[in-house]
Amino acid sequence: MTVQTAPELYQPTSLDDAVERLAIAGPDAAPIAGATWIMRSPSRGESFLREYVSLARIEELRRIEDDGASLTIGAAVTHARLAGALAGYPALEALRQAASASANPSVRRQATVGGNLCTRDFAAADLVPALLSLSARVILAGPAGTTTAPLSRFLATRDTQPQGTVLAHVSVPLAPVVSAHARLTLRRAGDYPVAIVSVSAALDEAGVVGSATVAVGSVEPVARLWPELASAMTGRPLDADAAVRTARELAGAFTPRTSVEADDWYRLQVLPTVVGRAVRALERRGRAGRA
Amino acid sequence: MTTELVVNGEARRVHADPMTPLARVLREELHLRGTKAACGEGFCGSCTVFVDDDAVASCLVPLGMAEGRSVRTVESLADPAGALSPLQQAMKDNDAVQCGMCFPGMLMSLTALLEANPAPERRDVHEALVGNICRCTGYDRIVDAALTAARAATGTKEEDAS
Repeated sequence: MTVQTAPELYQPTSLDDAVERLAIAGPDAAPIAGATWIMRSPSRGESFLREYVSLARIEELRRIEDDGASLTIGAAVTHARLAGALAGYPALEALRQAASASANPSVRRQATVGGNLCTRDFAAADLVPALLSLSARVILAGPAGTTTAPLSRFLATRDTQPQGTVLAHVSVPLAPVVSAHARLTLRRAGDYPVAIVSVSAALDEAGVVGSATVAVGSVEPVARLWPELASAMTGRPLDADAAVRTARELAGAFTPRTSVEADDWYRLQVLPTVVGRAVRALERRGRAGRA
Repeated sequence: MTTELVVNGEARRVHADPMTPLARVLREELHLRGTKAACGEGFCGSCTVFVDDDAVASCLVPLGMAEGRSVRTVESLADPAGALSPLQQAMKDNDAVQCGMCFPGMLMSLTALLEANPAPERRDVHEALVGNICRCTGYDRIVDAALTAARAATGTKEEDAS
């Protein structure tokens, strides 16, 4: 339900307070962090909700922590800060590229990781396929406590989370992989990508793919994994041309969307090319890693 | 609702709903009309201001989330006595300004770039302006002016920086 009166903004400094407030406020309230999507509600013809609970002043949600096995990223970390922090993590190159290429510089200084993952109508969110390809998990804080889930499961259930649930952190395994992120925009300046492909692969010393994870964004309404393509890449050396051919054969598994940027058929048409760009980048990184 | 923030170094109180875009408050409450409100969606860059250390689209900043923070607008760039900032002067010297609608945002985005990277390459300037749309100039003189300002500030000669 939406209302026409001026919305309220509650700005807690603790996660517990945010969860409690959201649980009490019910469905007329929502978290807000970077605000870049919510502030455009009027231009989409949508009313504001009655109340927003800001995550921006909760210190623990603004941290990025490395425990050696995984990188834990707070939901209120901005794209720009994330991109800067990932400079020393070559395995997470797909995520660094996603964080540093989305939208435009000023939006990247404001838009957050949590917002990118929780905005259900934002099909072209760059961080989602990147994090899917890196097997990220989300850490959810709610009235019943903290839970974790694979990002892919969260995306399927984010609309049915209990009231008061806050995506608090994202945990990315620090695995020995190479990764890449490719996006196709029709223009350079600030366009939403027509198709996004993020790939990660574990390579042996000969450059053979031991395991791969492929994720696709912006083609369907919600980003998703492409396990069939990942399976086809496994057990052989990285080969971008072969990946493009396989992607063409398998692309019929997608149900593409139409939006103002591109029609459904066009997204499917370009998807194999974007796959090729991502895998070609992986080839370069794989060679560099073995050199 | 009353919100306190620091605008161009001065403590200010404004009266607006907390989800009011900062750009609107700057223009309509504080009469700082240098900040332009155009697309309202963070795409055009004409409303770019600094909030604390970050140059952001003020059309997407709810006033309430700027409470207690420091805001710098284009009006802060020139010396109060009237002297233009080196970047502004370079724009003037390169005859880079046309209609002026996009320019406050251009200046703030380029100020952010030069604060972070005092000696940018041409490509860096292009990337910094990805979110600033100009429909008059074709950008070349703006980019030239930004590089001129950077070289003047760092004492780099043009041939050394190319």
